[in-house]
Amino acid sequence: MALDARRIRQDFPALQKTGAIYFDSACTSLKPKAVIDAEAAYYEQAAGCAGRSAHRLAKRTEELFEQARKKVAAFLNADAEGVVFTKNATEALNLAIRSFDYSSRKKIVTTVLEHHSALLPVMEQERRGVAKMELMRTNPDGTFDEEGIADCIDRLTALVVVHHTTNTTGMRAPLEKIVKIAHEAGAAVLVDGAQGVAHSKVDFKRLGADFLAFSGHKMCGPTGIGCLVAKKDALERLDSFIVGGETIESVRIGQVRWKRGAKRFEGGIQNYAGAAGLGAACDYMSRIGMAAVEEHERKLAKRLIEAIGGVKGAVLYGHPSPEKRCALACFNIAGVPHHQVALMSDSLASIALRSGTFCAQPAMESLGAPGGAVRASLYIYNTEEEIETFAETLGRIAKLAR
Amino acid sequence: MICLVLCFVALFVFAFLSVFSAKYRPLAARAFDCAVRKATLRPCETGLDEELKAASIAGIMRVSPAAASFVNRHFEAFSLAFAAIFFASFAVAFAGIYNFAVYGNCNGPQGGFCAYNSLHNTAFLKAPGSLDGITAGNASAKVVVIEFGCYVCPYTKSAESDVREMLEKHRNDVYFVFKPFPILSHPHSTEAALAASCAGEQGRYWEYRQALFENQADVMRRGDAALLEIAHRLNISPSFDACYTGRKFLSFIQKTEKEGQECGIYGTPTFFVNGKPFVGQNAVKEAENEVRRLLSGGGDGT
Repeated sequence: MALDARRIRQDFPALQKTGAIYFDSACTSLKPKAVIDAEAAYYEQAAGCAGRSAHRLAKRTEELFEQARKKVAAFLNADAEGVVFTKNATEALNLAIRSFDYSSRKKIVTTVLEHHSALLPVMEQERRGVAKMELMRTNPDGTFDEEGIADCIDRLTALVVVHHTTNTTGMRAPLEKIVKIAHEAGAAVLVDGAQGVAHSKVDFKRLGADFLAFSGHKMCGPTGIGCLVAKKDALERLDSFIVGGETIESVRIGQVRWKRGAKRFEGGIQNYAGAAGLGAACDYMSRIGMAAVEEHERKLAKRLIEAIGGVKGAVLYGHPSPEKRCALACFNIAGVPHHQVALMSDSLASIALRSGTFCAQPAMESLGAPGGAVRASLYIYNTEEEIETFAETLGRIAKLAR
Repeated sequence: MICLVLCFVALFVFAFLSVFSAKYRPLAARAFDCAVRKATLRPCETGLDEELKAASIAGIMRVSPAAASFVNRHFEAFSLAFAAIFFASFAVAFAGIYNFAVYGNCNGPQGGFCAYNSLHNTAFLKAPGSLDGITAGNASAKVVVIEFGCYVCPYTKSAESDVREMLEKHRNDVYFVFKPFPILSHPHSTEAALAASCAGEQGRYWEYRQALFENQADVMRRGDAALLEIAHRLNISPSFDACYTGRKFLSFIQKTEKEGQECGIYGTPTFFVNGKPFVGQNAVKEAENEVRRLLSGGGDGT
């Protein structure tokens, strides 16, 4: 069933109250009322801590927290035992990359297109002498050199770290091929799903990757909650990361018996309200249907790229085909600095855009925009009428260069 | 360079506005951060310069896209010009404050209109001790109105119709004394005062005074020629020319001017009604209210 953006907009108080044209969902999405209510419900109806006390409020919290874990698992078709709550995708990526077992293989393969949250932990492992980094070849238009994938993933590769969808072009990585090659070589695959989970139907079991990291706040969930989703046995390949309360079975001085599974990585009191909100976000997105989200974004992407193409002096980064991307586009306008384009769009038409290098400096450099660009990233609540206003505003701004 | 200039100007402007409104304080803090970074040769990362530029261009674009494009292309030049004007204004204001503190008038020892004086009340003004000047009305009236005025001052001109109306209404009850007080920053102010007194010597003062105000702009532009032309047009006796060119009443004008300075006059017109001062554009109306109050038995003034 097709998605009705106009009806969906009614669910988002921020849109009702600000009237803004929100084109910055790749940074963070807006939150529907259902998610806001779910967070509030934890504080109003539970408010205890899970897994510790035995009173009713604590039990209610435990239920909420585990229910959220199950909802995330169901949303992604993963096992609930493999869902580790983190504070965001960055923490999930750090957990997997820094705690992975590099004792027998010391190579991490990744790409220049990754977000800093994925790239920096890999670079850190190399700096500390834990592992060596190697980059898969990519083209200046953001596509992969698919023939070259097998060249760098080999028997020395411990982990392949790759995005599902980039935050710079909105384009998807050829994950099926990468996972197949990596597994044939005996390497594990960590997918950065920060953008992908929010904008595509992701079936973790079908994807076949070993780990998937994502954050709640880009998929209508609250900030401060994310997940590392792992295959059941994959978690056993990770060393402890953040340790503390609730990560152990027992402790004696000099001797620790760790919990097994996801709990081993959830040290200390958790973000229960955030988890409840994320569970509500999974419900909300499931009700809309991720297939409908993909279809809606394809339409928006087509119109978005046409709109940018119609602006004199505009340069689009990444492959121009809307079929290859979600509703996201990075661009510059010749003669007008990117920050000025974003700030003026806000002043002239209340259009929220992001400008800069989007925490992906090497990626922007490889795409031909080392100084940065403007990014328009749309979501379920955006309409083609908003793109018309965006196009008209860009046209006015572009005239400044003449 | 542009960032440096904008940040320093923004710091001054927002710091000043912050005194009156809390909403400018975060902007002032960002400008301060930027200025400190620039002063210590570190990059300014607040983005304030870009925000100010974008907001300015967007504002202009709403009115005229062509003007926005022009300003955008020459934004650096506009910023530097704006900064130069800003700092020049700042220097003039500072000099004014210094003069005000040292000489009691923002123009320094030469005097003239000073806006700072109007920040104060008029209590420091002293009533003149003499009734020397150009007079009208009833010399034995119990209410005395003294005006210090300048014939080429636009404010004295704008008060003139009310002055005449007051004199008409209270001709028998008020003694009116006009003391010329040429404002030196106005062109030909002393010459106009000399000419008016020469007309007065011929018994044609009020006619000439009216013509002076009516032709104020011309007098300011052409000086002597315009003043003589008015006299000729009014058919005032040929002896006017000799009086004017001989600067016959210069000592009289200098005397009233000195008297005004001693009274603390800082702008024209200034009225005294039985010694009570009234200054500024609406002063004549307030003075007339005081006249009415005194005539109705409300006291004898100061």
